Amino acid sequence: MSSHPLEMARRDFLGRMGSGMTGVALSRLLAGELTAAAAGQPHFAPRAKQVLQIFCPGAASHVDLWDHKPQLEKYHGTPLPGGQTEVTFQGKNGNLMKSPWPFAPAGKSGKMISTMLPHMAGHVDDMAFIHSMTSRTNTHGPGCVNMNSCFTRDGFPSAGSWVSYGLGSLNENLPTYVAIQDLRGEPPNGKANWSNGFLPARFQGITMSAQQQLRNLSRPDSISEREDAATRDFLKLIDEEHARQHPGNDELRARMAAYELAARMQMTAPEVSDLSKEPGSTHHFYGTNDPNKLKAAYARNCLLARRLLEQGVRFVSLYCASRASAVDGLLNWDAHKTLKADYERHCPIFDQPTAALLTDLKQRGMLNDVLVIWCTEFGRMPTHQDGTSGRDHNPDAFTTWMMGGGVRGGVSHGATDDFGRRAAVDIATVYDFHATVLHLLGLNHEKLTYYHNGANRRLTDVHGHVLQSILA
Amino acid sequence: MIQLLFFLTAVPDPAGIAFFEQKIRPVLAEHCYECHSATAKKLRGNLYLDSKAGWEKGGDHGEPAILPGDPDHSLLIRTMRHAEPDLEMPPRKPRLPETVIADFVAWVRMGAPDPRTGAVIEAKRADKSWWSLQPLDREFAHESIDGFIEEKLAAQNLSLNPPAEPGALIRRMTYDLTGLPPSLAEVEAFRAACRTDRAAAVKALVDRLLASPRYGERWGRHWLDVVRFGESNGFERNFIIDDLWPFRDYVIRSFNEDKPFDQFIIEHLAGDVIGRDNPGVEVGSSFLVAGPYDDVGNQDVVAQKNIRAATLDDMITATSGAFLGLTINCARCHHHKFDPIPAEDYYRIRAAFEGVRHGRRVVASREERAAHAAATKPLQEKIAQVTAVRNALEGAIEARAKESLAKRVFPRPKVDPSGTEDRFAPVAARQVRFVVHGTSDGRGGGRLTEFEVWSGDRNVALAANGATAEGARGAVAEDFPEAYGPQFCIDGQPGEQWFIGSPAVLTITFAREETIERTVFRNAKGKDVQDKSQGATPCEYEVQVSADGKTWQTVVTGEDREPWSPAHGIQRVRGAVTSAQDLAKLADLDRQIAALQAQLSRVAPLPMVWAGNFAQPTELTHLHKGGDPMKPLEPVAPASLSVLDGALKSYTLDPQAPESERRLALARWIASGDNPLTARVLANRVWQYHFGTGIVDTPSDFGFLGGKPTHPELLDFLAQRLLANGWRLKALHREILLSRSYLQSADHREDGAKLDKDARLLWRFPPRRLSAEEIRDTLLTVAGKLSLEPMGGKGFRLYKVMQNNVSSYYPLDLHGPETHRRAVYHQNARASVVDVLNDFDLPDIAFASPKRANTTTPLQALTLLNHAFTGDMAAAFASRLEAADPIGSAYRLAFQREPADRERAAAERLISEHGLRAFCRALLNANELICLD
Repeated sequence: MSSHPLEMARRDFLGRMGSGMTGVALSRLLAGELTAAAAGQPHFAPRAKQVLQIFCPGAASHVDLWDHKPQLEKYHGTPLPGGQTEVTFQGKNGNLMKSPWPFAPAGKSGKMISTMLPHMAGHVDDMAFIHSMTSRTNTHGPGCVNMNSCFTRDGFPSAGSWVSYGLGSLNENLPTYVAIQDLRGEPPNGKANWSNGFLPARFQGITMSAQQQLRNLSRPDSISEREDAATRDFLKLIDEEHARQHPGNDELRARMAAYELAARMQMTAPEVSDLSKEPGSTHHFYGTNDPNKLKAAYARNCLLARRLLEQGVRFVSLYCASRASAVDGLLNWDAHKTLKADYERHCPIFDQPTAALLTDLKQRGMLNDVLVIWCTEFGRMPTHQDGTSGRDHNPDAFTTWMMGGGVRGGVSHGATDDFGRRAAVDIATVYDFHATVLHLLGLNHEKLTYYHNGANRRLTDVHGHVLQSILA
Repeated sequence: MIQLLFFLTAVPDPAGIAFFEQKIRPVLAEHCYECHSATAKKLRGNLYLDSKAGWEKGGDHGEPAILPGDPDHSLLIRTMRHAEPDLEMPPRKPRLPETVIADFVAWVRMGAPDPRTGAVIEAKRADKSWWSLQPLDREFAHESIDGFIEEKLAAQNLSLNPPAEPGALIRRMTYDLTGLPPSLAEVEAFRAACRTDRAAAVKALVDRLLASPRYGERWGRHWLDVVRFGESNGFERNFIIDDLWPFRDYVIRSFNEDKPFDQFIIEHLAGDVIGRDNPGVEVGSSFLVAGPYDDVGNQDVVAQKNIRAATLDDMITATSGAFLGLTINCARCHHHKFDPIPAEDYYRIRAAFEGVRHGRRVVASREERAAHAAATKPLQEKIAQVTAVRNALEGAIEARAKESLAKRVFPRPKVDPSGTEDRFAPVAARQVRFVVHGTSDGRGGGRLTEFEVWSGDRNVALAANGATAEGARGAVAEDFPEAYGPQFCIDGQPGEQWFIGSPAVLTITFAREETIERTVFRNAKGKDVQDKSQGATPCEYEVQVSADGKTWQTVVTGEDREPWSPAHGIQRVRGAVTSAQDLAKLADLDRQIAALQAQLSRVAPLPMVWAGNFAQPTELTHLHKGGDPMKPLEPVAPASLSVLDGALKSYTLDPQAPESERRLALARWIASGDNPLTARVLANRVWQYHFGTGIVDTPSDFGFLGGKPTHPELLDFLAQRLLANGWRLKALHREILLSRSYLQSADHREDGAKLDKDARLLWRFPPRRLSAEEIRDTLLTVAGKLSLEPMGGKGFRLYKVMQNNVSSYYPLDLHGPETHRRAVYHQNARASVVDVLNDFDLPDIAFASPKRANTTTPLQALTLLNHAFTGDMAAAFASRLEAADPIGSAYRLAFQREPADRERAAAERLISEHGLRAFCRALLNANELICLD
């Protein structure tokens, strides 16, 4: 690690800055606002140290991707028993509608998976599916925020923020928590998905992507490197003088440390996001040069995610698709009207790059430390929406999965009913999901708390049970 | 008497102990410990009977469970006797045997000897004896603020610091009251005045600052934090709200006018009720609807009820937190777990707000309404007259058109959205144009899903076959340029659509010349979808072909198709049955109408404000089991909160009381001088904003989980002063600002720091970093760019709003001159993140932020170093420096002091090599600029 080019560049740079401080010492100076409850130590031995969250917003359909329902095929075109009068998010529903694509068994486990995801099928033996997920809302924005923070309204910290708060940073030269946006824009409810809520701002998700560098990272074009360095030297001098005259004010030292950390970040972040360092074979494997612009962009973000994890970013959220638009299902997985056409656009964007990322992590041995979680905000109806060939929202059943970092591969937790209308066996909640994530990171979800406006808040509110069946 | 009792019970006789052990303890253990002990699975009534301290303290009833020597009045005995309904112990069981009860009576009579010394049990929750629920103290050990502060300091062998140096003091006070730095001239004048008469100089300074309009901008901003004021609706759509700014102006105005706060509170909750025809008062009710709410238009009934419950929850949370410092929202699903707030209290407030809806309405005075009506009514009448004439003429034309139409034959079927086929004689073409003359909704625009051009069995228009499509777009998504484009017409997919723009022409160019004989167009999505979302279909059209892109030949039109609707048919034949004279007449009438409309549009509309709409609820408010709106329990009437029944007069309204009465009653109850929470919470906020931390450091939570007051007597003293001053803040400010506690220096002292690092006891004035707004305002001030006008009105934006079904907010890379106003006027949209402000802890306004965070992050450094705003300010700063002494003048402008020699020398080196801008950029990043003593 010490011979890593980044590390060397950083040392050079810091040598020039004349600082004897290590990143850890700097970060301690910044940690003044931390309470004892989160001292950056897990509660017990962790199975994973980092998290890669892959989020497909728009409510990616469980019955068309992961949750095989033979009965749905058999009873295609007939009414959903007891469902004729159901009015869901957009209104009335028609008859049962089978998935437009067949499912096929994959891996040694023989897990049935949609043939629309041929590359992902190669990973099923490492994945633990949770087929009995339920959501408290049928609306995308609150649903996405709920999947990230366990609350349907904005203002609560996301899981990435809680993890940053609970475990701290592994590399202060980069943000602890990075959210990678899709080329198509922000997910529903936007920045609330990686918000620190009421946790201190240093635990917020910082956005960057292969197409957009960390904000304000680069010095303005009009300022030369020499001028920038001289300016900082002068700043340091006057801040030193000021701090000397104000003993007993830690904040002044912390702010000076923040400027040093900023300088390190300016060195490190561009290096990490410089994908040209990767060999052509890797680019090809991920699909970064695919003629499909959206797929290529997402593939680049997949590659960026791996590089960030390699450099010790604690929590990486990778988005595949974005918000609602004037046309349902255009920018994300929200296939209300034309499921087949929509998913024939979305699946190829998602499939190869994601599978390549997982393979890459596995081959590098990174899955020992990295917990991968795949999320969407809720599921879709097994019926078609009245007068359409798409599906309406279904908060009563959806699928998520995990892999790596202490997760048992090739298993499934819970199940939906015959048609995938509702979770029926071992029903799981978003609280359970995140209780499990925290558990794998060595954190007790009932003990990771923060006081806010009258309550000691938790990621999992007052709920949540660890899903024991998917632990390795 | 109390001491005597203590003596008696403290040294019990051995016989009494024996009696306890034989007769009493076994019964307690068997019948009571299950619910009233440290080992209880769930502690009931907050009462412990497994220690002496437990029954001495008592439970939720707020009295000791046993009065030694007085069995008849001891709660424990009363409950064992089943003397009063609902007070029967053990619960749901017959009375214990009379002999047992007799033993307990005898035991209490002998003084209740109890050897169980178990440490005083730390209560796990608050009961009605909780400190903040008690009436305000009226008698105090001290007559001034400093007395209370010095008493606590003395107890720790500490003392106040000496007075602050005048330069530090005026800087501190000017930021505190106005959020801006003092000018150099002000600093110098103050120093001079202090040399003659410091006390008088300070007093004059306080008076000047409190009278400044900048005061309202600074303290109004504090209040906007407390009431979760945000200018977009949040949730998924997060639409920006452009007419909520009058509320911000109202808050600023109210602070500047020193409006009595009880009045201010009543206006927040019922401004529309007490201020009918008085816009300045009425606008207060915007408070109710200034929070986030979900407007996504859910069709699911259960979801609708949940959304409504969440919308009202925001109002309940905001009200109880801002005014009462209570977390009543924690009692939504069950009784409050830590405070004595029953779930009923939550629904009592809900009943008050049941008729409130988010939205805008006209907020105008009677005179404004009358003037508006006088200006518009004659015009509207005139328009109606002319329109009637026009309609008559149009009617005659239409009648003729209908006659003509009846004779016409349309051989081909009407346009079919799921596929309209046109055949024509085979023709060689390089390009095809689909020209749209009309759409099914008659409004133009429309959408197209696919357009096929067939040569034999090949669709030569497909992109897959090398064709390209061009056409203007009727919609754009700035963050996703492909959206809504004409390429969707030739992708062979039935999903995405081209949103037809103007001109409404789709041009398809083939890979090579083709002989074509058939076109098909559809606007249905999927195979046969026809719903609102597919949009209007083209129904009047022609298809043109070209071999060279210059000359075009029409090969087919839709004119021989059956019209989409009778109205479409009339349009087709209308021309033929309209005389030139009629046409001229119509044109003239249209001109007249347009002229009148133009006049009408010049009349200024009545002001619309996002101040909520109010309607009498059609249903009673119910308690919800577990907070679930689908599980209503008994009805709850609008009423005062039982948690404060002991402190002030309660009220209960009829469950169907008019909704305006409900809000007014609640407002008056909250704003009552007898309400101990309202005055305490407000006094604490004022203290917090002066000193950085409140006497209670959880300013909107005075409950069990909140902080305990460091100076409880002082808090009540301040609350009483507030009441004595008629709820006016400026008098309270003056009293605080003129205290020695405030005027002392911020100097560090080892003894104080050792015992009280954060200076909660005020052995020094606590230094602080500037707030987000102060930092931005300071940069603008130092650069000479701050514009104090307009003071109010619509806010400026540091983001770009992108609206495409939902709103996205993107921070701006350049902050133009229109953004050089005070940051309080930034239009703070929810879930938007902008440079400088959010970096420095401007909170997202999902919730109230009664206390700003104060974080230090590398991102702050990156923004202040690299964002163009700093560059612009540095350049402006550099340009206003005195040529003769740029370094000295920069220090005077930024820090109101002269540079030290060492600083001057270093600055000279920097400037000589890199110029003034580099020097100014450094100063704008300096700690000294944004840290206050």
